[in-house]
Amino acid sequence: MPAPHVLDFVYIIVILAGGIIAGFAPFVISDIFRPRTINKKTLLTYECGMDPFGSAWDIRFGAAYYLYALIFLAFDVDILYLFPVAAAYDRVSGWQGVLELFIFVGILTLAVAYVWVKGVFTWAIKREEN
Amino acid sequence: MGDQTRGKLNVHSYAAELQARLERGEPGNLVVHDPGPLVRHKLADEIFNLCRANSLWPMTFGLACCAIEMMSLGMARFDISRFGSEVFRPSPRQSDLMIVAGTVNKKMASAVMTLYDQMPSPKWVIAMGNCAISGGPFAVEENYNVIEGVDKLIPVDVYVPGCPPRPEGLLEGILKLQEKITGVRHPFPQRKISDAPSY
Repeated sequence: MPAPHVLDFVYIIVILAGGIIAGFAPFVISDIFRPRTINKKTLLTYECGMDPFGSAWDIRFGAAYYLYALIFLAFDVDILYLFPVAAAYDRVSGWQGVLELFIFVGILTLAVAYVWVKGVFTWAIKREEN
Repeated sequence: MGDQTRGKLNVHSYAAELQARLERGEPGNLVVHDPGPLVRHKLADEIFNLCRANSLWPMTFGLACCAIEMMSLGMARFDISRFGSEVFRPSPRQSDLMIVAGTVNKKMASAVMTLYDQMPSPKWVIAMGNCAISGGPFAVEENYNVIEGVDKLIPVDVYVPGCPPRPEGLLEGILKLQEKITGVRHPFPQRKISDAPSY
């Protein structure tokens, strides 16, 4: 009779093996019994019935979208720094907390105001620049 | 880059194959590799066919007005899910039933053939409506564009006539397909009407 902690490990290993078998058995069973017919276009990239063309690495992505990343970052940082504010909100008096909150968010909102003034929210202006 | 140029010219790589099938007048199936299953066992086949028949996954593939009836079959009133085929898949990779619901014209034909190729085997086809069966109202002398019957392109298992067929018609087509797959009309025993709860 092995020591109890060895038996515990045996249980873990048995259950682990059972889990692995349960995970991979469907793949093995379906691989054994499935029909393996390959038509001329079965392995092609799925393109709604059209011919795929070009390379998957040849992606043209509008560089102008970096502006949206920056705006997202501005909002994101806004929200991120409000979590410690919420955590420490009960340590100061009510008016002080609200006031400091608005000052803080107001300064961070300047980033959004900046891109607004710059005309990022208007596609037409961007087109003229291009 | 040669592929890209061909894509821009809108010439489908199945254009020649489409022409060949139309001239031959019978469906084709370009199989390049078919070694069959590793193990073929009668009982296993029966079990798998039972499972296949009771979970036919159709492809979301509406070509014309018949697709409206197909959609209504998927909704609560006719409820295709009673027979296990409510899982309309938006990709041929995951589906094993192609319901050709509508008119197939020549521009669409090569796409239909490609989608049929891309479905994993085993796969079945229901030709729904007169257009998909024989061209329907387009089967006239002046027709220049409509394929007169999708069975000129791909092998069809069940034909559901109508213009368009009612959802019950398509439902009967699916039951017929289940019968074709398993050999019995209701692969799983149905509840009798007298046993059904009354609402």
